[in-house]
Amino acid sequence: MDAALKRRLEARFGDRLTAPVYQRHDETEIRIGPGDVPDVCRTLHDDADFRFILLADVAGVDTGTVMQVVYHLWGDTSSDWLRIVADGLSREDPRVPSVTFLWQGAEWMEREAYDMFGITFEGNRDLRRIYMPPDYQSFPLRKDFFLPDDAARSPGAGVRHMEQSHAPRNARPGETMRKVRA
Amino acid sequence: MTAAPPHGHLHQEVPSDDPRVQLDEAAGVFEPVPPYPPRTEREAEFYTLGDGEMFINMGPQHPSTHGVLRIVLKLDGENVVDLDPVLGYLHRGVEKLCENSDYHHSIAYLDPLEYIASLFCEWPGVLAFEKLLDVQVPRRAEYIRVLATELNRILSHSMFIGWMALDLGGLTPILYGLIERDEIAEMLGALTGQRLLYNYLRIGGVNGDLNHEFMSRLGDWMSRATTQIEANTTLLNENEIFVRRMRGLGTMDKETAFRMAMTGPNLRASGVPLDFRRAHPYSVFPELEFDIPTREEGDCLARYLVRIDEIKQSLRIIDQVIHNMPDGPVIAKLPRLLRPRPGRAYAAVEGPRGQYAAYVISDGTDQPFRMRIHDPSFVHLQAVGVLMPGHLIADAMAVMASLDPIMGGVDK
Repeated sequence: MDAALKRRLEARFGDRLTAPVYQRHDETEIRIGPGDVPDVCRTLHDDADFRFILLADVAGVDTGTVMQVVYHLWGDTSSDWLRIVADGLSREDPRVPSVTFLWQGAEWMEREAYDMFGITFEGNRDLRRIYMPPDYQSFPLRKDFFLPDDAARSPGAGVRHMEQSHAPRNARPGETMRKVRA
Repeated sequence: MTAAPPHGHLHQEVPSDDPRVQLDEAAGVFEPVPPYPPRTEREAEFYTLGDGEMFINMGPQHPSTHGVLRIVLKLDGENVVDLDPVLGYLHRGVEKLCENSDYHHSIAYLDPLEYIASLFCEWPGVLAFEKLLDVQVPRRAEYIRVLATELNRILSHSMFIGWMALDLGGLTPILYGLIERDEIAEMLGALTGQRLLYNYLRIGGVNGDLNHEFMSRLGDWMSRATTQIEANTTLLNENEIFVRRMRGLGTMDKETAFRMAMTGPNLRASGVPLDFRRAHPYSVFPELEFDIPTREEGDCLARYLVRIDEIKQSLRIIDQVIHNMPDGPVIAKLPRLLRPRPGRAYAAVEGPRGQYAAYVISDGTDQPFRMRIHDPSFVHLQAVGVLMPGHLIADAMAVMASLDPIMGGVDK
Protein backbone atom coordinates (compact mmCIF):
# COMPACT_ATOMS: atom_id res chain seq x y z
CA MET A 1 0.00 0.00 0.00
CA ASP A 2 1.30 3.38 -1.05
CA ALA A 3 0.04 5.99 1.44
CA ALA A 4 1.76 8.83 -0.41
CA LEU A 5 -0.13 8.01 -3.58
CA LYS A 6 -3.39 8.08 -1.64
CA ARG A 7 -2.61 11.57 -0.35
CA ARG A 8 -1.67 12.82 -3.80
CA LEU A 9 -4.83 11.39 -5.34
CA GLU A 10 -7.02 12.94 -2.64
CA ALA A 11 -5.32 16.30 -3.03
CA ARG A 12 -5.69 16.32 -6.80
CA PHE A 13 -9.09 14.75 -7.37
CA GLY A 14 -10.74 15.41 -4.00
CA ASP A 15 -14.14 16.58 -5.21
CA ARG A 16 -14.35 14.22 -8.15
CA LEU A 17 -13.98 11.02 -6.16
CA THR A 18 -17.36 9.44 -5.54
CA ALA A 19 -15.98 7.20 -2.77
CA PRO A 20 -12.95 7.26 -0.46
CA VAL A 21 -9.66 6.03 -1.92
CA TYR A 22 -9.46 2.31 -1.17
CA GLN A 23 -6.20 0.43 -0.69
CA ARG A 24 -5.52 -3.26 -0.24
CA HIS A 25 -2.36 -5.28 -0.85
CA ASP A 26 -0.61 -3.56 -3.76
CA GLU A 27 -3.68 -1.90 -5.21
CA THR A 28 -5.03 1.63 -4.92
CA GLU A 29 -8.56 2.21 -6.11
CA ILE A 30 -10.35 5.43 -6.95
CA ARG A 31 -13.97 5.80 -7.99
CA ILE A 32 -15.17 8.49 -10.36
CA GLY A 33 -18.23 9.24 -12.41
CA PRO A 34 -18.11 8.15 -16.06
CA GLY A 35 -17.98 11.74 -17.30
CA ASP A 36 -14.69 12.41 -15.48
CA VAL A 37 -12.78 9.55 -17.12
CA PRO A 38 -10.97 11.53 -19.88
CA ASP A 39 -9.86 14.34 -17.55
CA VAL A 40 -8.72 12.07 -14.74
CA CYS A 41 -6.89 9.74 -17.12
CA ARG A 42 -5.16 12.62 -18.86
CA THR A 43 -4.00 14.06 -15.55
CA LEU A 44 -2.77 10.68 -14.33
CA HIS A 45 -0.98 10.11 -17.62
CA ASP A 46 0.64 13.51 -18.13
CA ASP A 47 1.19 14.94 -14.65
CA ALA A 48 4.72 14.58 -13.29
CA ASP A 49 3.29 13.59 -9.89
CA PHE A 50 1.63 10.50 -11.31
CA ARG A 51 3.07 9.44 -14.70
CA PHE A 52 0.79 6.41 -15.04
CA ILE A 53 1.90 5.82 -18.59
CA LEU A 54 1.03 2.17 -19.03
CA LEU A 55 -2.58 1.11 -19.50
CA ALA A 56 -2.58 -2.38 -18.07
CA ASP A 57 -6.20 -3.31 -18.59
CA VAL A 58 -9.70 -2.12 -19.44
CA ALA A 59 -12.52 -4.26 -18.11
CA GLY A 60 -16.27 -4.01 -18.10
CA VAL A 61 -18.15 -5.15 -15.02
CA ASP A 62 -21.85 -5.84 -14.55
CA THR A 63 -22.61 -5.75 -10.84
CA GLY A 64 -26.23 -6.73 -11.35
CA THR A 65 -27.46 -3.24 -10.50
CA VAL A 66 -25.08 -0.94 -12.40
CA MET A 67 -22.32 -1.22 -14.99
CA GLN A 68 -18.72 -0.26 -14.36
CA VAL A 69 -15.65 0.22 -16.50
CA VAL A 70 -12.45 -0.59 -14.65
CA TYR A 71 -9.05 0.71 -15.77
CA HIS A 72 -5.78 -0.55 -14.34
CA LEU A 73 -2.73 1.67 -14.73
CA TRP A 74 0.94 1.24 -13.95
CA GLY A 75 3.40 4.06 -13.35
CA ASP A 76 6.95 4.39 -12.09
CA THR A 77 6.02 6.89 -9.36
CA SER A 78 4.22 4.32 -7.25
CA SER A 79 4.64 0.70 -6.27
CA ASP A 80 0.89 0.15 -6.52
CA TRP A 81 -1.45 -0.76 -9.31
CA LEU A 82 -3.87 2.10 -9.79
CA ARG A 83 -7.44 1.04 -10.40
CA ILE A 84 -9.92 3.57 -11.73
CA VAL A 85 -13.53 2.50 -11.42
CA ALA A 86 -15.92 4.48 -13.59
CA ASP A 87 -18.98 3.72 -11.53
CA GLY A 88 -22.71 4.07 -11.88
CA LEU A 89 -23.34 3.41 -15.58
CA SER A 90 -26.99 2.54 -16.15
CA ARG A 91 -27.67 -1.03 -17.20
CA GLU A 92 -30.13 0.12 -19.88
CA ASP A 93 -27.79 2.43 -21.75
CA PRO A 94 -24.25 2.33 -20.36
CA ARG A 95 -22.08 5.11 -21.79
CA VAL A 96 -18.57 6.24 -21.00
CA PRO A 97 -16.06 8.39 -22.92
CA SER A 98 -13.29 6.48 -24.65
CA VAL A 99 -9.64 6.70 -23.60
CA THR A 100 -8.29 5.92 -27.07
CA PHE A 101 -7.11 9.54 -27.37
CA LEU A 102 -4.46 8.66 -24.75
CA TRP A 103 -3.90 4.99 -25.40
CA GLN A 104 -4.71 3.86 -28.90
CA GLY A 105 -4.23 0.33 -27.61
CA ALA A 106 -7.44 0.64 -25.61
CA GLU A 107 -9.42 0.41 -28.83
CA TRP A 108 -9.77 -3.35 -28.90
CA MET A 109 -10.21 -3.66 -25.15
CA GLU A 110 -13.11 -1.21 -25.39
CA ARG A 111 -14.50 -3.11 -28.34
CA GLU A 112 -14.38 -6.24 -26.22
CA ALA A 113 -16.24 -4.53 -23.37
CA TYR A 114 -18.80 -3.32 -25.89
CA ASP A 115 -19.19 -6.81 -27.30
CA MET A 116 -19.54 -8.49 -23.93
CA PHE A 117 -21.47 -5.85 -21.94
CA GLY A 118 -22.93 -3.45 -24.47
CA ILE A 119 -21.05 -0.50 -22.98
CA THR A 120 -20.81 2.35 -25.49
CA PHE A 121 -17.44 4.08 -25.50
CA GLU A 122 -18.01 7.53 -26.95
CA GLY A 123 -15.11 8.54 -29.17
CA ASN A 124 -13.86 5.06 -30.02
CA ARG A 125 -13.51 5.18 -33.81
CA ASP A 126 -14.29 1.51 -34.39
CA LEU A 127 -16.86 0.40 -31.84
CA ARG A 128 -18.25 -2.81 -33.28
CA ARG A 129 -18.41 -6.38 -32.06
CA ILE A 130 -15.01 -8.04 -31.94
CA TYR A 131 -15.65 -11.69 -30.99
CA MET A 132 -19.31 -12.38 -31.60
CA PRO A 133 -20.85 -12.41 -35.09
CA PRO A 134 -22.26 -9.11 -36.39
CA ASP A 135 -25.88 -10.27 -36.22
CA TYR A 136 -25.57 -11.27 -32.57
CA GLN A 137 -28.03 -9.47 -30.33
CA SER A 138 -27.24 -10.11 -26.67
CA PHE A 139 -24.29 -9.33 -24.41
CA PRO A 140 -22.85 -12.57 -23.02
CA LEU A 141 -21.05 -11.38 -19.89
CA ARG A 142 -24.04 -9.53 -18.46
CA LYS A 143 -25.40 -11.19 -15.39
CA ASP A 144 -28.85 -11.71 -16.90
CA PHE A 145 -27.29 -13.87 -19.60
CA PHE A 146 -27.48 -17.43 -18.29
CA LEU A 147 -25.45 -20.31 -19.61
CA PRO A 148 -27.72 -22.91 -21.17
CA ASP A 149 -25.99 -25.86 -19.54
CA ASP A 150 -25.51 -24.29 -16.15
CA ALA A 151 -27.18 -26.98 -14.11
CA ALA A 152 -26.98 -24.99 -10.89
CA ARG A 153 -29.02 -22.05 -12.07
CA SER A 154 -31.13 -23.32 -14.92
CA PRO A 155 -32.45 -26.76 -14.05
CA GLY A 156 -34.17 -28.37 -16.95
CA ALA A 157 -33.26 -25.65 -19.40
CA GLY A 158 -31.39 -28.09 -21.59
CA VAL A 159 -28.90 -27.16 -24.25
CA ARG A 160 -30.12 -24.54 -26.66
CA HIS A 161 -28.51 -22.00 -28.87
CA MET A 162 -27.04 -19.22 -26.75
CA GLU A 163 -29.29 -16.63 -28.30
CA GLN A 164 -32.42 -18.59 -27.45
CA SER A 165 -31.28 -19.44 -23.95
CA HIS A 166 -31.14 -15.88 -22.80
CA ALA A 167 -33.21 -16.76 -19.76
CA PRO A 168 -33.79 -20.33 -18.61
CA ARG A 169 -37.32 -21.62 -18.74
CA ASN A 170 -37.95 -21.24 -15.04
CA ALA A 171 -35.61 -18.34 -14.30
CA ARG A 172 -36.86 -15.16 -12.75
CA PRO A 173 -33.94 -12.78 -13.39
CA GLY A 174 -34.92 -10.53 -10.51
CA GLU A 175 -34.29 -13.38 -8.10
CA THR A 176 -31.87 -15.62 -9.99
CA MET A 177 -29.41 -12.97 -11.13
CA ARG A 178 -26.24 -12.59 -9.10
CA LYS A 179 -25.57 -9.16 -7.68
CA VAL A 180 -22.54 -7.75 -5.91
CA ARG A 181 -21.50 -4.55 -4.23
CA ALA A 182 -18.24 -3.88 -6.05
CA MET B 1 -21.06 -49.46 -78.14
CA THR B 2 -19.64 -46.02 -77.38
CA ALA B 3 -16.69 -45.62 -75.08
CA ALA B 4 -17.16 -43.58 -71.93
CA PRO B 5 -15.60 -40.14 -72.21
CA PRO B 6 -12.31 -39.76 -70.30
CA HIS B 7 -12.90 -38.60 -66.72
CA GLY B 8 -16.53 -38.33 -67.58
CA HIS B 9 -17.62 -39.06 -64.06
CA LEU B 10 -15.86 -35.91 -62.84
CA HIS B 11 -17.78 -33.65 -65.15
CA GLN B 12 -21.27 -34.95 -64.63
CA GLU B 13 -23.94 -32.34 -64.69
CA VAL B 14 -25.37 -31.94 -61.19
CA PRO B 15 -28.80 -30.36 -60.87
CA SER B 16 -28.52 -26.97 -59.18
CA ASP B 17 -31.09 -27.81 -56.52
CA ASP B 18 -28.85 -30.62 -55.25
CA PRO B 19 -28.15 -29.73 -51.57
CA ARG B 20 -24.52 -30.80 -51.94
CA VAL B 21 -23.91 -28.09 -54.48
CA GLN B 22 -25.21 -25.42 -52.18
CA LEU B 23 -23.09 -26.77 -49.34
CA ASP B 24 -19.97 -26.62 -51.49
CA GLU B 25 -20.66 -23.04 -52.34
CA ALA B 26 -21.35 -21.96 -48.79
CA ALA B 27 -18.38 -23.60 -47.09
CA GLY B 28 -15.00 -21.99 -47.02
CA VAL B 29 -15.80 -18.95 -49.10
CA PHE B 30 -14.89 -15.73 -47.34
CA GLU B 31 -15.90 -12.64 -49.23
CA PRO B 32 -13.60 -9.86 -48.06
CA VAL B 33 -16.42 -7.31 -48.04
CA PRO B 34 -18.98 -8.14 -45.32
CA PRO B 35 -22.57 -8.72 -46.53
CA TYR B 36 -24.10 -6.09 -44.25
CA PRO B 37 -23.95 -2.30 -44.07
CA PRO B 38 -20.92 -0.87 -42.22
CA ARG B 39 -21.43 -0.44 -38.49
CA THR B 40 -18.88 2.30 -37.89
CA GLU B 41 -17.28 5.06 -39.89
CA ARG B 42 -13.98 3.28 -39.69
CA GLU B 43 -15.50 0.13 -41.19
CA ALA B 44 -17.13 2.14 -43.96
CA GLU B 45 -13.85 3.88 -44.71
CA PHE B 46 -11.90 0.62 -44.75
CA TYR B 47 -14.30 -1.21 -47.05
CA THR B 48 -14.28 1.56 -49.64
CA LEU B 49 -11.69 0.94 -52.33
CA GLY B 50 -9.52 3.76 -53.60
CA ASP B 51 -7.96 3.98 -57.02
CA GLY B 52 -6.02 0.83 -57.91
CA GLU B 53 -6.63 -0.84 -54.56
CA MET B 54 -7.97 -4.31 -53.90
CA PHE B 55 -8.89 -6.58 -51.01
CA ILE B 56 -7.14 -9.81 -50.17
CA ASN B 57 -8.63 -12.11 -47.59
CA MET B 58 -5.97 -13.87 -45.52
CA GLY B 59 -7.01 -16.62 -43.21
CA PRO B 60 -8.64 -17.96 -41.13
CA GLN B 61 -6.77 -21.04 -42.29
CA HIS B 62 -3.66 -19.35 -43.54
CA PRO B 63 -0.44 -20.92 -42.19
CA SER B 64 1.28 -17.67 -41.30
CA THR B 65 -1.57 -16.18 -39.28
CA HIS B 66 -0.56 -18.28 -36.24
CA GLY B 67 -3.93 -19.93 -35.81
CA VAL B 68 -7.40 -18.94 -36.81
CA LEU B 69 -6.96 -15.26 -37.43
CA ARG B 70 -8.52 -13.67 -40.47
CA ILE B 71 -7.06 -10.46 -41.84
CA VAL B 72 -8.66 -8.47 -44.62
CA LEU B 73 -5.83 -6.65 -46.35
CA LYS B 74 -6.32 -3.62 -48.53
CA LEU B 75 -3.54 -3.72 -51.08
CA ASP B 76 -2.12 -1.37 -53.63
CA GLY B 77 -0.13 -3.66 -55.85
CA GLU B 78 1.86 -5.62 -53.33
CA ASN B 79 1.90 -2.91 -50.67
CA VAL B 80 -0.37 -3.10 -47.67
CA VAL B 81 -2.45 0.07 -47.44
CA ASP B 82 -4.66 -0.85 -44.54
CA LEU B 83 -5.93 -3.93 -42.78
CA ASP B 84 -8.85 -5.17 -40.73
CA PRO B 85 -8.24 -8.16 -38.45
CA VAL B 86 -11.35 -10.28 -37.88
CA LEU B 87 -11.31 -12.15 -34.57
CA GLY B 88 -13.56 -14.55 -32.77
CA TYR B 89 -12.97 -17.87 -34.51
CA LEU B 90 -11.56 -19.30 -31.29
CA HIS B 91 -13.75 -17.47 -28.81
CA ARG B 92 -14.83 -19.82 -26.03
CA GLY B 93 -16.11 -17.39 -23.43
CA VAL B 94 -13.58 -18.40 -20.82
CA GLU B 95 -14.49 -15.50 -18.56
CA LYS B 96 -18.13 -16.58 -18.44
CA LEU B 97 -17.12 -20.18 -17.83
CA CYS B 98 -14.93 -19.11 -14.90
CA GLU B 99 -17.77 -17.08 -13.45
CA ASN B 100 -19.91 -20.21 -13.48
CA SER B 101 -17.42 -22.57 -11.85
CA ASP B 102 -15.77 -22.54 -8.45
CA TYR B 103 -12.36 -21.11 -7.72
CA HIS B 104 -10.38 -24.34 -8.02
CA HIS B 105 -12.24 -25.33 -11.14
CA SER B 106 -11.68 -22.08 -12.99
CA ILE B 107 -7.88 -22.56 -12.98
CA ALA B 108 -8.36 -25.38 -15.48
CA TYR B 109 -10.19 -23.02 -17.82
CA LEU B 110 -7.27 -20.60 -17.84
CA ASP B 111 -4.82 -23.09 -19.37
CA PRO B 112 -6.12 -23.37 -22.92
CA LEU B 113 -6.11 -19.60 -23.32
CA GLU B 114 -2.43 -19.66 -24.02
CA TYR B 115 -1.58 -23.06 -25.33
CA ILE B 116 2.14 -22.40 -25.67
CA ALA B 117 2.85 -20.85 -22.27
CA SER B 118 -0.05 -22.17 -20.21
CA LEU B 119 1.53 -21.64 -16.82
CA PHE B 120 1.60 -17.91 -17.38
CA CYS B 121 -2.13 -17.83 -17.85
CA GLU B 122 -2.77 -19.78 -14.67
CA TRP B 123 -0.44 -17.68 -12.58
CA PRO B 124 -2.25 -14.32 -12.51
CA GLY B 125 -5.56 -16.03 -11.84
CA VAL B 126 -4.09 -17.97 -8.96
CA LEU B 127 -2.32 -14.87 -7.64
CA ALA B 128 -5.55 -12.88 -7.69
CA PHE B 129 -7.40 -15.65 -5.83
CA GLU B 130 -4.62 -15.74 -3.25
CA LYS B 131 -4.88 -12.00 -2.78
CA LEU B 132 -8.62 -12.32 -2.23
CA LEU B 133 -8.09 -15.08 0.33
CA ASP B 134 -4.95 -13.61 1.96
CA VAL B 135 -3.09 -16.87 1.54
CA GLN B 136 0.60 -17.16 2.35
CA VAL B 137 2.28 -19.37 -0.26
CA PRO B 138 5.09 -21.62 1.04
CA ARG B 139 8.56 -20.63 -0.18
CA ARG B 140 9.25 -23.97 -1.80
CA ALA B 141 6.05 -23.61 -3.81
CA GLU B 142 7.14 -20.16 -4.97
CA TYR B 143 10.50 -21.53 -6.08
CA ILE B 144 8.86 -24.40 -7.94
CA ARG B 145 6.51 -21.94 -9.63
CA VAL B 146 9.45 -19.83 -10.79
CA LEU B 147 11.32 -22.90 -12.00
CA ALA B 148 8.37 -24.25 -13.98
CA THR B 149 7.39 -20.92 -15.49
CA GLU B 150 10.92 -20.01 -16.54
CA LEU B 151 11.15 -23.36 -18.30
CA ASN B 152 7.86 -22.54 -19.95
CA ARG B 153 9.24 -19.18 -21.03
CA ILE B 154 12.19 -20.86 -22.73
CA LEU B 155 9.80 -23.28 -24.42
CA SER B 156 7.72 -20.40 -25.73
CA HIS B 157 10.71 -18.41 -26.98
CA SER B 158 12.21 -21.46 -28.71
CA MET B 159 8.97 -21.86 -30.60
CA PHE B 160 8.96 -18.16 -31.40
CA ILE B 161 12.40 -18.37 -33.03
CA GLY B 162 11.20 -21.23 -35.18
CA TRP B 163 7.95 -19.53 -36.19
CA MET B 164 9.71 -16.29 -36.93
CA ALA B 165 11.98 -18.05 -39.42
CA LEU B 166 9.11 -20.10 -40.78
CA ASP B 167 7.15 -16.97 -41.63
CA LEU B 168 10.17 -15.66 -43.51
CA GLY B 169 10.42 -18.89 -45.47
CA GLY B 170 13.08 -20.78 -43.51
CA LEU B 171 12.07 -24.30 -42.57
CA THR B 172 15.11 -25.45 -40.59
CA PRO B 173 14.94 -23.40 -37.36
CA ILE B 174 11.45 -24.58 -36.44
CA LEU B 175 12.71 -28.16 -36.43
CA TYR B 176 15.43 -27.24 -33.93
CA GLY B 177 12.96 -25.16 -31.97
CA LEU B 178 10.65 -28.14 -31.76
CA ILE B 179 13.48 -30.31 -30.40
CA GLU B 180 14.02 -27.78 -27.62
CA ARG B 181 10.33 -27.49 -27.02
CA ASP B 182 9.88 -31.24 -26.86
CA GLU B 183 12.61 -31.69 -24.28
CA ILE B 184 11.05 -29.05 -22.03
CA ALA B 185 7.56 -30.40 -22.65
CA GLU B 186 8.70 -33.86 -21.57
CA MET B 187 10.29 -32.32 -18.51
CA LEU B 188 7.17 -30.38 -17.54
CA GLY B 189 5.16 -33.47 -18.37
CA ALA B 190 7.13 -35.37 -15.75
CA LEU B 191 6.53 -32.56 -13.25
CA THR B 192 2.89 -31.74 -13.91
CA GLY B 193 1.49 -34.79 -15.68
CA GLN B 194 0.68 -32.86 -18.87
CA ARG B 195 2.86 -31.83 -21.75
CA LEU B 196 0.81 -28.90 -23.00
CA LEU B 197 -1.99 -27.73 -20.69
CA TYR B 198 -0.37 -28.17 -17.32
CA ASN B 199 -3.06 -27.15 -14.81
CA TYR B 200 -0.27 -27.26 -12.27
CA LEU B 201 -0.64 -24.16 -10.11
CA ARG B 202 -3.05 -24.33 -7.20
CA ILE B 203 -4.41 -21.69 -4.89
CA GLY B 204 -1.72 -21.57 -2.23
CA GLY B 205 0.95 -23.56 -4.02
CA VAL B 206 1.47 -26.14 -6.73
CA ASN B 207 -0.04 -29.52 -7.46
CA GLY B 208 2.97 -31.74 -6.78
CA ASP B 209 6.50 -31.71 -5.49
CA LEU B 210 9.60 -32.05 -7.67
CA ASN B 211 10.21 -35.66 -8.63
CA HIS B 212 13.20 -37.68 -9.67
CA GLU B 213 12.36 -37.93 -13.35
CA PHE B 214 11.90 -34.19 -13.68
CA MET B 215 15.13 -33.38 -11.86
CA SER B 216 17.22 -35.83 -13.85
CA ARG B 217 15.77 -34.60 -17.15
CA LEU B 218 16.35 -31.02 -16.06
CA GLY B 219 19.96 -31.67 -15.04
CA ASP B 220 20.58 -33.42 -18.33
CA TRP B 221 19.13 -30.60 -20.34
CA MET B 222 20.75 -27.79 -18.34
CA SER B 223 24.20 -29.25 -18.96
CA ARG B 224 23.82 -28.75 -22.70
CA ALA B 225 21.11 -26.07 -22.93
CA THR B 226 23.39 -23.08 -23.39
CA THR B 227 25.35 -24.59 -26.27
CA GLN B 228 22.23 -26.03 -27.84
CA ILE B 229 20.36 -22.73 -27.82
CA GLU B 230 23.49 -20.97 -29.04
CA ALA B 231 23.68 -23.41 -31.95
CA ASN B 232 20.01 -22.93 -32.83
CA THR B 233 20.13 -19.16 -32.81
CA THR B 234 23.40 -18.99 -34.74
CA LEU B 235 21.46 -20.48 -37.64
CA LEU B 236 19.57 -17.21 -37.92
CA ASN B 237 21.80 -14.63 -36.27
CA GLU B 238 24.53 -15.21 -38.81
CA ASN B 239 22.19 -15.62 -41.72
CA GLU B 240 22.59 -12.53 -43.86
CA ILE B 241 19.27 -12.90 -45.64
CA PHE B 242 17.38 -13.16 -42.36
CA VAL B 243 19.17 -10.28 -40.65
CA ARG B 244 18.99 -7.90 -43.58
CA ARG B 245 15.31 -8.57 -44.05
CA MET B 246 14.48 -8.07 -40.39
CA ARG B 247 16.56 -4.99 -39.76
CA GLY B 248 14.57 -1.77 -39.96
CA LEU B 249 11.31 -3.62 -40.57
CA GLY B 250 8.20 -2.65 -38.59
CA THR B 251 9.95 -0.08 -36.42
CA MET B 252 8.10 1.07 -33.32
CA ASP B 253 9.36 3.83 -31.06
CA LYS B 254 8.85 4.14 -27.31
CA GLU B 255 5.93 6.52 -27.49
CA THR B 256 4.02 4.37 -29.97
CA ALA B 257 4.69 1.30 -27.89
CA PHE B 258 3.21 2.93 -24.78
CA ARG B 259 0.33 4.34 -26.78
CA MET B 260 -0.46 0.86 -28.07
CA ALA B 261 -0.35 -0.43 -24.46
CA MET B 262 2.42 -2.87 -25.34
CA THR B 263 4.26 -4.83 -22.65
CA GLY B 264 6.88 -7.53 -22.51
CA PRO B 265 9.62 -8.16 -25.07
CA ASN B 266 7.85 -6.05 -27.69
CA LEU B 267 8.10 -3.03 -25.39
CA ARG B 268 11.66 -3.83 -24.30
CA ALA B 269 12.74 -4.05 -27.95
CA SER B 270 11.80 -0.37 -28.19
CA GLY B 271 14.24 0.55 -25.45
CA VAL B 272 12.01 0.51 -22.36
CA PRO B 273 13.45 -1.68 -19.56
CA LEU B 274 10.02 -2.54 -18.15
CA ASP B 275 9.73 -6.03 -16.75
CA PHE B 276 7.06 -6.67 -14.13
CA ARG B 277 9.36 -9.13 -12.37
CA ARG B 278 11.37 -6.03 -11.43
CA ALA B 279 8.91 -3.16 -11.96
CA HIS B 280 6.16 -4.70 -9.85
CA PRO B 281 7.78 -7.63 -8.05
CA TYR B 282 5.80 -10.74 -7.21
CA SER B 283 6.72 -14.21 -6.01
CA VAL B 284 10.46 -14.56 -5.16
CA PHE B 285 11.88 -12.51 -8.03
CA PRO B 286 13.34 -9.82 -5.71
CA GLU B 287 15.72 -12.52 -4.39
CA LEU B 288 16.91 -13.63 -7.80
CA GLU B 289 19.59 -12.10 -9.97
CA PHE B 290 18.85 -11.45 -13.61
CA ASP B 291 19.12 -8.64 -16.12
CA ILE B 292 16.43 -7.07 -18.25
CA PRO B 293 17.64 -7.22 -21.85
CA THR B 294 16.58 -4.28 -24.00
CA ARG B 295 17.24 -3.08 -27.53
CA GLU B 296 16.98 0.44 -28.82
CA GLU B 297 16.00 -0.17 -32.44
CA GLY B 298 12.41 -1.32 -32.03
CA ASP B 299 12.39 -3.25 -35.30
CA CYS B 300 11.68 -6.91 -35.98
CA LEU B 301 15.31 -7.87 -35.47
CA ALA B 302 15.33 -6.18 -32.06
CA ARG B 303 12.18 -8.03 -31.02
CA TYR B 304 13.81 -11.28 -32.09
CA LEU B 305 17.14 -10.61 -30.33
CA VAL B 306 15.50 -9.50 -27.08
CA ARG B 307 13.82 -12.87 -26.83
CA ILE B 308 17.10 -14.71 -27.34
CA ASP B 309 18.67 -12.67 -24.55
CA GLU B 310 15.70 -13.48 -22.37
CA ILE B 311 16.31 -17.20 -22.83
CA LYS B 312 19.79 -16.72 -21.41
CA GLN B 313 18.43 -14.79 -18.43
CA SER B 314 15.85 -17.51 -17.83
CA LEU B 315 18.64 -20.09 -17.76
CA ARG B 316 20.38 -17.94 -15.14
CA ILE B 317 17.23 -17.85 -13.02
CA ILE B 318 16.72 -21.61 -13.29
CA ASP B 319 20.31 -22.15 -12.20
CA GLN B 320 19.81 -20.03 -9.06
CA VAL B 321 16.46 -21.61 -8.28
CA ILE B 322 17.84 -25.14 -8.43
CA HIS B 323 20.72 -24.26 -6.13
CA ASN B 324 18.63 -22.37 -3.57
CA MET B 325 15.55 -24.59 -3.52
CA PRO B 326 14.23 -24.50 0.07
CA ASP B 327 12.61 -27.45 1.84
CA GLY B 328 9.07 -27.51 3.13
CA PRO B 329 5.49 -27.97 1.96
CA VAL B 330 4.48 -27.17 -1.61
CA ILE B 331 0.93 -26.07 -0.91
CA ALA B 332 -0.77 -24.12 1.85
CA LYS B 333 -3.52 -25.81 3.81
CA LEU B 334 -6.84 -24.55 2.51
CA PRO B 335 -10.39 -25.88 2.61
CA ARG B 336 -11.77 -27.59 -0.48
CA LEU B 337 -14.60 -25.09 -0.75
CA LEU B 338 -13.32 -21.54 -0.91
CA ARG B 339 -15.51 -18.58 -0.10
CA PRO B 340 -13.38 -15.44 -0.12
CA ARG B 341 -14.79 -12.36 1.49
CA PRO B 342 -16.36 -9.89 -0.97
CA GLY B 343 -13.63 -7.82 -2.57
CA ARG B 344 -11.57 -7.15 -5.64
CA ALA B 345 -8.08 -8.17 -6.64
CA TYR B 346 -5.81 -7.54 -9.60
CA ALA B 347 -2.68 -9.55 -10.26
CA ALA B 348 -0.25 -9.50 -13.15
CA VAL B 349 2.79 -11.52 -14.13
CA GLU B 350 5.47 -11.06 -16.75
CA GLY B 351 5.02 -13.75 -19.35
CA PRO B 352 6.95 -14.54 -22.53
CA ARG B 353 4.65 -12.17 -24.46
CA GLY B 354 4.05 -9.50 -21.88
CA GLN B 355 1.69 -8.79 -19.06
CA TYR B 356 -0.76 -11.55 -18.22
CA ALA B 357 -3.27 -10.28 -15.71
CA ALA B 358 -6.50 -11.16 -13.97
CA TYR B 359 -9.05 -8.97 -12.23
CA VAL B 360 -11.36 -10.89 -9.94
CA ILE B 361 -14.41 -9.72 -8.03
CA SER B 362 -15.68 -11.92 -5.24
CA ASP B 363 -19.24 -11.72 -3.92
CA GLY B 364 -18.69 -14.10 -1.03
CA THR B 365 -19.87 -17.23 -2.83
CA ASP B 366 -17.71 -20.11 -4.03
CA GLN B 367 -17.66 -18.76 -7.59
CA PRO B 368 -15.89 -15.63 -8.80
CA PHE B 369 -18.45 -12.95 -9.56
CA ARG B 370 -16.34 -11.42 -12.29
CA MET B 371 -13.20 -12.87 -13.79
CA ARG B 372 -11.47 -10.58 -16.22
CA ILE B 373 -8.49 -12.04 -18.06
CA HIS B 374 -6.00 -9.77 -19.76
CA ASP B 375 -3.88 -11.37 -22.42
CA PRO B 376 -0.92 -9.61 -24.06
CA SER B 377 -1.45 -11.29 -27.45
CA PHE B 378 -4.79 -9.52 -27.78
CA VAL B 379 -3.26 -6.11 -27.14
CA HIS B 380 -0.18 -6.71 -29.27
CA LEU B 381 -2.11 -7.96 -32.25
CA GLN B 382 -3.80 -4.62 -32.73
CA ALA B 383 -0.36 -3.06 -33.26
CA VAL B 384 -0.31 -4.72 -36.70
CA GLY B 385 -2.73 -1.98 -37.72
CA VAL B 386 0.03 0.55 -37.03
CA LEU B 387 3.06 -1.47 -38.14
CA MET B 388 1.88 -3.27 -41.27
CA PRO B 389 0.69 -0.45 -43.55
CA GLY B 390 3.36 0.62 -46.00
CA HIS B 391 5.10 -2.74 -46.08
CA LEU B 392 5.07 -5.45 -48.70
CA ILE B 393 2.62 -8.22 -48.00
CA ALA B 394 5.44 -10.71 -47.36
CA ASP B 395 7.10 -8.36 -44.87
CA ALA B 396 3.78 -7.71 -43.19
CA MET B 397 3.69 -11.35 -42.19
CA ALA B 398 7.16 -11.01 -40.69
CA VAL B 399 5.97 -8.01 -38.69
CA MET B 400 3.11 -10.02 -37.31
CA ALA B 401 5.33 -12.98 -36.48
CA SER B 402 7.73 -10.70 -34.59
CA LEU B 403 4.89 -9.59 -32.29
CA ASP B 404 4.35 -13.26 -31.41
CA PRO B 405 0.58 -13.39 -30.85
CA ILE B 406 -1.14 -16.63 -29.83
CA MET B 407 -4.68 -16.83 -31.08
CA GLY B 408 -5.90 -18.76 -28.04
CA GLY B 409 -5.14 -15.71 -25.94
CA VAL B 410 -6.42 -13.24 -28.50
CA ASP B 411 -9.83 -14.86 -28.75
CA LYS B 412 -10.25 -15.90 -25.09
